[in-house]
Amino acid sequence: MSPELLLALLTGAALFGVGLYGALSQTNLVMIMMGVELILAGALVNLVAFWRFLHPESYPGQMFVLIVMTVMAVEMAVGFGVAIARFRARGSVEMEEARELKG
Amino acid sequence: MIDWQTIFIAFFGVASVWFGVGVFRTASMMRSALALLFSQTALGAMFLAMQAEFLGVLQIMMMATEMSIMAIFMVMFMMDPGGLGEMDMTHQKRLSILAGVAAALVTAGVAVVAEWGAIAAAAPAAAAQTEALGRELLGRSMLVFETAGVTILTAMIAATAVAVPAPQRDRRS
Repeated sequence: MSPELLLALLTGAALFGVGLYGALSQTNLVMIMMGVELILAGALVNLVAFWRFLHPESYPGQMFVLIVMTVMAVEMAVGFGVAIARFRARGSVEMEEARELKG
Repeated sequence: MIDWQTIFIAFFGVASVWFGVGVFRTASMMRSALALLFSQTALGAMFLAMQAEFLGVLQIMMMATEMSIMAIFMVMFMMDPGGLGEMDMTHQKRLSILAGVAAALVTAGVAVVAEWGAIAAAAPAAAAQTEALGRELLGRSMLVFETAGVTILTAMIAATAVAVPAPQRDRRS
């Protein structure tokens, strides 16, 4: 296997692990979103590596990267919307206190 | 023989993971947001090293904006944004570490063990790539591309609807 592909896939695996740790361990909504961003970053690096080292002539691979970037933007927009509603209702975005997503 | 591309991919990969770990190691929320910005920027530089020029520049530009907004929200919403009070904002730490390490090891194991097939020696030039991606977006993948656009628009409207305060009932009427 090419060392470049292996390095990229290992980077993706490490980012996925770090992101999963963050998403599970943090109690603040914004920090949880940061963990999810890192998980999606791990997916991004894998997709770019697969495109570059396996199928550089096939552009749906790059299209897939754009879709994951869209998912990142959507996650941020909806997450911050929920954060604002939560902060307005309870004065905090600590998820330990959130038993329900009712505003 | 190790070439420059391998060195740059390794360097930016390590930098991305290093700053990614830094996000959860600092008590200051501002530093967390900046660490995530550097992690995502290193990833963009890694894309450039992998000859995906358009995606690399897009990643850097998009994440610079996104993380700046995130930093503002951190300061707005966190009880201790500077981390001066050394508040612990974590729970189930041991389980989370276990899950993170296990997920990383399993994914890395698949990356090492799997047979990925023939490796392409070169990628098309940057201009040819951008042109081909544009043709892909406005050709075969147009429906997917348009769906992504509508999804972002829906998310923007939904986020605004959730964030706007509910109108108070007028008790006089």
